[in-house]
Amino acid sequence: MKLYEYEGKTLLAGAGIAVPKGCVAATPAEAVAVAANLGYPVVLKSQVLRGGRGKAGGIRFAAGIDELLREAEALFALSIGSEKVEKLLIEERLISVREIYAGITLDSLTLLPQLLVSAAGGMDIEAAARTMPGKLHRLPLDPLNLPGPPQIAGLLRAAGLQGRDMSGVAGAVGDLIRAYFRYEAVTAEINPLIIDAQGRVIAADAKLEIDDSALGRVKEAASFVRTERSGDPLEAEAKAEDIAYVRMEEGNIGLVSGGAGLGMASMDMIVLHGGAPANFLDLGGNATEEKTAAALRIVLKTPGVEGVLLNLFGGINNCRSMAKGIVQVIDALHPPQTIVVKMRGHSQDEGWEILEDRGVPLVKFGTTEEAVVLLMAKLKEKGDRGSGHTG
Amino acid sequence: MAILVNGETRVIVQGATGKQGQYHTLKLLEYGVRVVGGVTPGREGDRVHGVPVYDRVARAMARTSVDASMIVVPPFGVLAAARDAIENGVPLVVVITEFVPLHDALKIRGLARKSGARVIGPNTIGVISPGKSKVGIMPGFIYGEGSVGIISRSGTLTHEIASNLTYRGIGQSTCVCIGGDMVKGTDFSDLLELFRDDPETGTVILVGEIGGAGEELAARHLRERPYPKKVIAFIAGATAPPEKRMGHAGAMICAGFGTADSKIRSLREAGVTVVESLDELVARCR
Repeated sequence: MKLYEYEGKTLLAGAGIAVPKGCVAATPAEAVAVAANLGYPVVLKSQVLRGGRGKAGGIRFAAGIDELLREAEALFALSIGSEKVEKLLIEERLISVREIYAGITLDSLTLLPQLLVSAAGGMDIEAAARTMPGKLHRLPLDPLNLPGPPQIAGLLRAAGLQGRDMSGVAGAVGDLIRAYFRYEAVTAEINPLIIDAQGRVIAADAKLEIDDSALGRVKEAASFVRTERSGDPLEAEAKAEDIAYVRMEEGNIGLVSGGAGLGMASMDMIVLHGGAPANFLDLGGNATEEKTAAALRIVLKTPGVEGVLLNLFGGINNCRSMAKGIVQVIDALHPPQTIVVKMRGHSQDEGWEILEDRGVPLVKFGTTEEAVVLLMAKLKEKGDRGSGHTG
Repeated sequence: MAILVNGETRVIVQGATGKQGQYHTLKLLEYGVRVVGGVTPGREGDRVHGVPVYDRVARAMARTSVDASMIVVPPFGVLAAARDAIENGVPLVVVITEFVPLHDALKIRGLARKSGARVIGPNTIGVISPGKSKVGIMPGFIYGEGSVGIISRSGTLTHEIASNLTYRGIGQSTCVCIGGDMVKGTDFSDLLELFRDDPETGTVILVGEIGGAGEELAARHLRERPYPKKVIAFIAGATAPPEKRMGHAGAMICAGFGTADSKIRSLREAGVTVVESLDELVARCR
């Protein structure tokens, strides 16, 4: 789960890292109240999950109440990417004399978390990694043998930090490492970590993502669990059924797949044979009759779907239950769309029999590609006969 | 021969008394696997389909030798179970469980490296050497005996490819699902090395998908040292939209990294035959 900046800062503060004084506001009036407490000037920061907020005009400053109200109203009317700004973080305005980048992320080559530090903070770190990799200093973090203060100090010196700056940043970086493991983060990034005129080291921003699989035991993040407001009602419906469903633009082929890799391969085969996937759907483990039926209903409701491929394996799931789920939906809805099922695995004979009894087109021993070809041929046949005469 | 598991492999099931554990213990026994014990703390003395249950891995190992463990405990219990197996010297630990926390997977990987145990998974259907044995939850009958080795990140895509081959008379030596998570115990390169020296394996199939760098690392591995066997690869997810998680925790393209294109290019440069369709994959194995 990606955290909003104000949530991330709460966690960092809990781990001992200094953050600017401030509070979140959901209306211009709340923003005024927060600013009155802080004293002007203040910073107004849009709380959105995607990056590039500064460039999109999502960060403003205010020296007094009139300016604050004007900027707050402008920000609450703003959308960044597809995200509407619903909360602002109002903070004291800090004057930095130095900006540092400090982040921890999982390195896909070593499969270890990696600490990244740059003395040139505040910039787009991904761009910096490409254009000036020498400025980015890295330290692998073995969870069974974490680096101690001497190693961290060595890294910071290599990055060009010395004296009081170095020791202050070393403290914050040590806290960041502890926060990363304590909160079970996937990524934890402070950009920039600033040093102000008094030599204080303060996290001016916070970008944290907590591992979804650990959310149930990271107590500090329990209050962050948000109501899913997916713009897409079908994605919300799928989520409620514990089904992984991703909607695709302008597709004509719906997909129910028993497994993520198989689902992706099915999409690839659909495209290869001239179709356009309308969705990705992974039934996941434990596909009961009900869950299979729910998945098929969601796909049939997906706009633009003319044909549906169900590509299923009775591994953890069994074919009989899944076949019953499919037939349940066909009997209830009599869907006009063409449905092709490819299914094998545990209790395949019983599953096949249930589907054959209802005359559902079935691929038993063929490949996914053969199932896709069959579905495309049936759709073409239907198209050639002309719409309106399909009954 | 085959790799990792064979007819002699003695297997324990950690979590055997749970619903999944009982079901898959039975399926292992039906496949002829030598299941020598189950492990569930507090349930010593019970039996699951005739298999004795022990409190700890060490208790099982005091009674019998153990070559492999299959872990089917709930996600938050996986780290303790894997630690129990690894620290007691079980050489092969297969973590079936899905949704294992990332930080636990990191620790398991670290523990395994320290002690020399091989961990497969998490989030895997396991390993099968068709006709010999399996440490996994795959339906055994769609896997046929033969000389094709399969290494795959996806469980059902392993089923798909193995069964496509089986139904067309092409069997497999060993099929290994390395799991769909970002952090896993064993990657493509490790298994390419095991298949290198396996006389029963003639052709190796790599089944990759978008996200991560395992396929690129495998390509580098193959470039560094000549490989004596034919390697064919299929990469799933070429048509997946970016920045969306496609069911697997490890299957996401971020900032242009982990794309199907990058993987296909790397593998081709390493001399691997990369096929674009599942039917072509079967054809290339003939």
